[in-house]
Amino acid sequence: MSLNPLDTMFLLAGLNLLAMLLIGHWRGAGWLATLFYGAQLLTLFQFDPSQAIQHSAFGIQNSTLTLHWQFDALAWLFAVISVAAALFASWFGAGEWLRKYTGSHRLLHSALAGNVLAMLLLLASDDLLTLFIGWEATSWAGFLLMALAGGSGQILARDAALKYLVYAIAGAMALLGAVVVLFQAGHSFGYMQAQASFAIMSAPLLWGMALLFLFGFGAKLALLPLHLWQAPAYSETPAPGAMFLGAIVGRMGLFALAVVLAKLIGISKLEALALPFTFLSAQDLIAWIAVLTIILPTYTALKQNDARYLLAWHGIGQGGYMLLGLVLGTALGSAGGLLHMINYAATQATLLMAVFAVMHRVGHTDLNNLGGLVARMPLTFLALLLGIISLAGLPPMSGFVSKWMIYTALLQDGRPLLFLASVIGTLGTILSVYKLIHNLFLGQLRVEHEKIDEAPWSMLIPMLTCATFAFVTGAAPGLVLGWVAAAQDALGLPVLAYTLGGVSSLRASLDMPWVVGVLFAGFGVGAILFYGIGGKTQRINQLDNYAGGHFLTADMRYHYSDNFYAGLMHLIGDWYRGSFHWLEQSIASSVGLAAAAANGWYRAASPGFYLLAASTLMLAWVLL
Amino acid sequence: MNLTELMIELVLMPFVAFVIGLGMVLMMRKIAARLQRRVGPPFFQPLYDIVKLYAKRTQTSHGMVHDIGIVMAVGGYVAAETLLPMPGMNGIADKGGLITLMYLMMVPSLGMALGVGQCANPNGSIGIGRALTAMLAYDVPFVIVVFGVAWHFGSTNLVSMIEIQQAGGISTWGITQMPLLALAGLFTLHGMLGKQPFEVYIAPAEIATGPMVEMSGKHMGGLFVMQSFQLYTAAALYVTLFLGGGENWLFFIVKCFVVLAVPVSLAYLFPRYRTEDMVRLMWKWPVLVGLVGLAFVMR
Repeated sequence: MSLNPLDTMFLLAGLNLLAMLLIGHWRGAGWLATLFYGAQLLTLFQFDPSQAIQHSAFGIQNSTLTLHWQFDALAWLFAVISVAAALFASWFGAGEWLRKYTGSHRLLHSALAGNVLAMLLLLASDDLLTLFIGWEATSWAGFLLMALAGGSGQILARDAALKYLVYAIAGAMALLGAVVVLFQAGHSFGYMQAQASFAIMSAPLLWGMALLFLFGFGAKLALLPLHLWQAPAYSETPAPGAMFLGAIVGRMGLFALAVVLAKLIGISKLEALALPFTFLSAQDLIAWIAVLTIILPTYTALKQNDARYLLAWHGIGQGGYMLLGLVLGTALGSAGGLLHMINYAATQATLLMAVFAVMHRVGHTDLNNLGGLVARMPLTFLALLLGIISLAGLPPMSGFVSKWMIYTALLQDGRPLLFLASVIGTLGTILSVYKLIHNLFLGQLRVEHEKIDEAPWSMLIPMLTCATFAFVTGAAPGLVLGWVAAAQDALGLPVLAYTLGGVSSLRASLDMPWVVGVLFAGFGVGAILFYGIGGKTQRINQLDNYAGGHFLTADMRYHYSDNFYAGLMHLIGDWYRGSFHWLEQSIASSVGLAAAAANGWYRAASPGFYLLAASTLMLAWVLL
Repeated sequence: MNLTELMIELVLMPFVAFVIGLGMVLMMRKIAARLQRRVGPPFFQPLYDIVKLYAKRTQTSHGMVHDIGIVMAVGGYVAAETLLPMPGMNGIADKGGLITLMYLMMVPSLGMALGVGQCANPNGSIGIGRALTAMLAYDVPFVIVVFGVAWHFGSTNLVSMIEIQQAGGISTWGITQMPLLALAGLFTLHGMLGKQPFEVYIAPAEIATGPMVEMSGKHMGGLFVMQSFQLYTAAALYVTLFLGGGENWLFFIVKCFVVLAVPVSLAYLFPRYRTEDMVRLMWKWPVLVGLVGLAFVMR
């Protein structure tokens, strides 16, 4: 049997997992895993799924059921980003970082490899059943990575991981219910039959199905109000795990929602599906959920005092942009949403690598106990600077391009409030990321950090490579827009007509090489004015400072970090009420109470009778 | 247009913007002086100030980011000018549009914030915290204005907006078609300039508690240049969106100066707002006016 590239990729992913399980404790295992991910990435680039769908040679078949896997352009796009994220995460953690890591190396490598394999299985799903199987595998593999948390936040992280598990199991039940309904309607798990079933489905049932899928997949994407678990669960995991989780794992929810909402149900159907007693449609509802997912977590990030948590909360918010673009369904909007997934993966990987490099050197990421590191870790600072510019969506980085597409799509679609809300999210991001870079790298250097070194090259190279990718794809977005356009085509969405520089149309154009060119020319002019004219600058020592007329010695701590936006918090501080925590706790309490009541009732009465009745009802429901 | 002409425009546009901006700095000081019954500075004073600051013998730098922040602050505006059409010169306005310009205008703020942060002076950092909060305050109504204008003209292309307004005359100007948005825009412009009563983050009267605390010599000179660009950019953008752009140089310059004169004249009549009060104000009246204006535009 000859192997096609898809089979080869699965084989490599499986071999990687096997190797890590067997020899994951070996010191060079991290490098070996990195090579495996590199080989998988090369294999992915051996085929072009926009030309033809790639089918795997293996499958499971019996008299009634056939399961097989395939890659279309959408799956390929997500797979490229997933494997690339694993490659850089593994690379970052393969060298000096691993030597200091006190946890189980085997477990860490195996969990990462398992995640990649599970995600590839999910992405290659060809029908509802393989989608469900892949989803379950991804959920449990993700839990493995989250459960690796150690250190001071271990308890918090494990609680969050368990909470995620509850969401994942509840979501899985919702998905299973939806899949069973679709199977009953079309007598098949195939996507074609599901499309046909959705096309003739009554509005109430369609609402039910959409909500079930939204609940099932939305928990992974951490859509409001299912978002509380993600930040602690992702933040406390060891560096490579946190990077991989933060960069791409949550986006599996986006992939699955794209398949269901855009491919199977259709955005136009969602647009026509009215929410009873309101003027909203299903599309509006999802768009508003996405926008709330942008705003609330972003402003929660603003309050964080740990760099990892700050970035994790932003990760939740950025997922909102992706879903918002996708659900608009226009060529520009959906391209923006999918492009943001690529851009954000590179951006978040860069940012998390920079933050974990700081943690590697100083031992923590507490924003109130750092500062002034730019003089000691200039390259890490550069990476973080490029990352925050991209996260904030400013030129010349790639984050700007995808957000520009989403804003422009909202504008063209006549959605002023969504537009306003999404820009408010961006403004909050700018405030938040400035606090991040200021409290880490600017301001006063603490005495105990005077002797620390730059991050090792094993960390710097992947960090700067990701930052460079985010820059290059910002300056020439056409390099990746081809992938996005092919993915749009696979989803049955309108396909974006793109150029190397972005978009060219009468209503809105973006030519990034020119924008980036004039920006750097402007910097050139600024540099000539600053360095070429006037007196010679004298650089003073970083610790040579004074304030209010008093000289400050290095041991006196004057770095302004806590309550950074005091004026703003004076106004909006009371808005942070923890309502979602309250909601979550009340739901948990209610479920606990109901479970206790049911338990008591069951034990008090005739258990055999209730068991029989429940079984009969279940059977009747399944059969009828 | 061939490449050579475009390159000439790209060089000329920031230069012209800077010269007009210097004139605006002069006008601003003159207005302040007259309101305070002073004579005010001589014609070339803004230029003298820049030369003086750049030529100072003591030039203190707190590190590379301190310097690069100033380079970004100036460079960001130099780039922004090439996206903002002038009479006879469109630069690369059709390659970016309004949203790109809006975001490019944030690059100088980021540069200044980085430069100030590197100085390790807590008062400077407090000033930046306030400045970014102010940005959050005035950008909310600004975004509403941007959306309304782009919706009205059916495009984010600034060249198209000017063409539509100039082809139809005053009755098609943004200010005639969208008076409420124009009012909200003027409010936003005032906040954006950081003039009284919204100047708490610059703190010009008590330099030791604002972002300028560690700025001297070339650093201050760079920020002075940035201010010239900022005044021009804000005024020219308003003229482009609401006053038909520039039919010719005379009209364009007059319109720009008149637009700027409004907030500058009002500035000295009010006491200072605290940061949170500025946010409260900006999120209330200009937002309300803007939303009502937007409703009319989209009706």
